[in-house]
Amino acid sequence: MATEPNSERLIARYLLGELPEEQQVEIEDRAFQDKDYLASITAVENDLIDEYVRHELSEAERRRFEDRFLASAERRKRVEFARALASVASETAVVEKPAAISWRDSLKAFIRGLNPAGQFALAAIMLLLIVGGAWLLTETLRLRSQFSRLQAEDQSRQSERKALEQQIEAERKRNEELTARLNQEKEQREQTEDSLRQLSETPDTTTPAPRPIIAALTLLPGVSRGGGAKPSLVMPENARLVRLQIGIDPEEQYKSFAAELRTVAGRQIWTREHLTARTRNGARAIGLTIPATALKPGEYELKLSGQTEGGGTDDVGFYYFNVRR
Amino acid sequence: MFEGQDHVQFTTDSAGQAASAPARQKWTLTQEAFDKLLMALGGDRDSGSEKYLEIRTHLTRFFEWRGCPFPEDHADETFNRIAKRVAEGEAILNPSSYAMGVARLLLLEIIKGRQREQSALTEISNSSEVYVDSDDGESRLTCLRNCLQGLSADNRDLILQYYQGEKSEKIRNRKKLMERLGIPVNTLRMRALRLREKLQGCVEECVGRA
Repeated sequence: MATEPNSERLIARYLLGELPEEQQVEIEDRAFQDKDYLASITAVENDLIDEYVRHELSEAERRRFEDRFLASAERRKRVEFARALASVASETAVVEKPAAISWRDSLKAFIRGLNPAGQFALAAIMLLLIVGGAWLLTETLRLRSQFSRLQAEDQSRQSERKALEQQIEAERKRNEELTARLNQEKEQREQTEDSLRQLSETPDTTTPAPRPIIAALTLLPGVSRGGGAKPSLVMPENARLVRLQIGIDPEEQYKSFAAELRTVAGRQIWTREHLTARTRNGARAIGLTIPATALKPGEYELKLSGQTEGGGTDDVGFYYFNVRR
Repeated sequence: MFEGQDHVQFTTDSAGQAASAPARQKWTLTQEAFDKLLMALGGDRDSGSEKYLEIRTHLTRFFEWRGCPFPEDHADETFNRIAKRVAEGEAILNPSSYAMGVARLLLLEIIKGRQREQSALTEISNSSEVYVDSDDGESRLTCLRNCLQGLSADNRDLILQYYQGEKSEKIRNRKKLMERLGIPVNTLRMRALRLREKLQGCVEECVGRA
């Protein structure tokens, strides 16, 4: 009850001496029996003093206040205190005022200031903004998701392209190697064909051509690389061909053979495939004719491989020999 | 003894207390009469002392509210009259109501005395004319600022915001405070009241020292 405005107003009237004696007695009796009510009277008393020092009382109220409140020294002290408090509170209010007004309060004040048509228009705009905002948000999310997917696809395509480029590069290198080998084979074939052509050409009867000189060497299995007695081929100055007879074990029953001639340093200088072995006087050998120009003085290693029925190859043996001039 | 005994006047001369106090027959409050008063108020000395202080506070407020110039002196005069009756053998059943009855009779005497004075001294018809602003306003302000610093930040904000602004602004401030602190209006009012009393006590003490 003490908190109701009417009750506060009644207390204020009591304090200003505006109530009849009966009501004054009622209020006093209640105040001395109810501590909360007593406190309410003190609070209203403080508010009245504050209103007085802030000049918020009407002229009549002000006169009654001064009659009652300025009569005692104790109350005058309270008035002085209220004056000081109002002064300090107003200093603080100046500093804090900007922070005290929230954007909500400002918005409310703005909306309240509009006429009904303006309020309707504002409501419509707000609705549009909300709907538009929601649509924009949805679209943004969808586009972001789409963009992420496209980015992933692009990355995948780039990796595939890179893999293909690497594959093409590898194929190109392999192609170059094969071309180089083909050219080498071609050169060897041409050299051999030249030599054979020269050998098979019929000599001119009127002006006898010099006979091709053939240097021959027989290689037998069992000679190791580090072994002492390596066969030597003494190459005449005018030798055009070299005929190597490669002896093999009669047990070696391969479909065909391949020979690979290398220097001791490992440089390949001649190869030949599809060689067949012949048997003469119980010995089995493979004949190999190579141009004399291919052999320079030095040590050589000849590797003989056998080609099996299944298409694979086995090492048959290694032969070592020297060439001298 | 008990707190507040310094308020007790064993010898009373109403004419010498205040210009507005009514002229009446002298009566001397003796130690024996005061002890009997305390027994009559509370049944024993300790309870009687507590009741004495409570009733004295109420009486002081009563005379203050009724616009009397010397509320504490009038409260003491009320007790003197009660003590006299107790000493004469009168039984008191409800001390608070009894004291208020005596106080109201005294108030009537005070009002009559004041009316007599006012008609005699027409030039002093308005008490506000007598009141002059004290010149310790600046020191009071300084003291108040110092005392505010002695409060916790929350309490300082509370009391400044509670008493800030005029009329509607003040009401808005108080509503905001209630919302911010999440407390009902009565609790907020009590807090502000206690803080204000504490602060005023601090300021008066500070001004007294200065």
